[in-house]
Amino acid sequence: MTPQAYPEKYFSNIFTKGKRGNILVENIIFIILNLIFLVILILFLLKQGSGAIVLEQSYAKQISLLIDSSKPLMTLKLNMEEGKKLAEKNKVDFNEVVRIEDNIVVVKLSGKGGYEYSFFNDVDVTAYPDKEFYVFIINEKN
Amino acid sequence: MNKYGTDKIISVYWFGILIIVAGGIFAMVYTFYHHPYDVRELEANIMINKIADCLSSEGKINLNILDDTEKFLLNNDNFLEICNVNFDVEKKWEDEPQYYVEINFYKPGDTDNPIFEISNGNKNLISSCIIQNEEYEKLARCVEKRFYSLTENNNQYLIKILSIIRKSEKNVK
Repeated sequence: MTPQAYPEKYFSNIFTKGKRGNILVENIIFIILNLIFLVILILFLLKQGSGAIVLEQSYAKQISLLIDSSKPLMTLKLNMEEGKKLAEKNKVDFNEVVRIEDNIVVVKLSGKGGYEYSFFNDVDVTAYPDKEFYVFIINEKN
Repeated sequence: MNKYGTDKIISVYWFGILIIVAGGIFAMVYTFYHHPYDVRELEANIMINKIADCLSSEGKINLNILDDTEKFLLNNDNFLEICNVNFDVEKKWEDEPQYYVEINFYKPGDTDNPIFEISNGNKNLISSCIIQNEEYEKLARCVEKRFYSLTENNNQYLIKILSIIRKSEKNVK
């Protein structure tokens, strides 16, 4: 079959094939773009939920409230597995994640300054890491 | 030809919708995660529990608070030290403490006139207790609790503790 013999039929076939091909490619691009959109959205949500700023604040406030409700001679253990992972990712030594300076708790999970929150309980607190936990020993102030 | 054109228009609308949805989710997440956790009410409750433990144990007023002759040993100056509480915790707020505590002792028959009262902290925070709703969350948080306790001679007292925490900068945006 040559174009000269059956011009209408010939071009019609080419057009149909091309049209179908366009629709398929368009659909694939459409699906890929949708998937990219969903992946970006999920990554954004995950990043926000486990971000250093949120975790630092959460840990600092938790530790302050724990110390406030404690009494001398108590030992408190706080699971900071998520914080440890983030600290390692941000190349922060886990030994330096929590600092107690007088009556202020400072939590640092990234290279930036960290987050601090104060407690009113007049006690002496010693903090040290133990695997994925942080241990707080409460003693009377001298 | 029309169908092809319509598909294109639908996909443009579809991406428009996706952008609106993404914008909405971004706004919600941003609002949620950039809003600090407000722990002031918890903190005020913990403070009340701590002071209540300091004043009374097992339903009896401690002897370092009220002696055998029913004389109050507590005063505005020594109360924080006796109860192991420190309000002077942040140098930034040295001139304007972020805490206030008031303790009133009443005889059970007369709960309007306290027979003994002590307080410590920033008195200016008391005015915040008049309005305590979400619209005015930047004001200090107030919590008041009361309980009964006996003396060594089995005389009953009603003790009211008011605890106020400000710390608005760290707890409210």
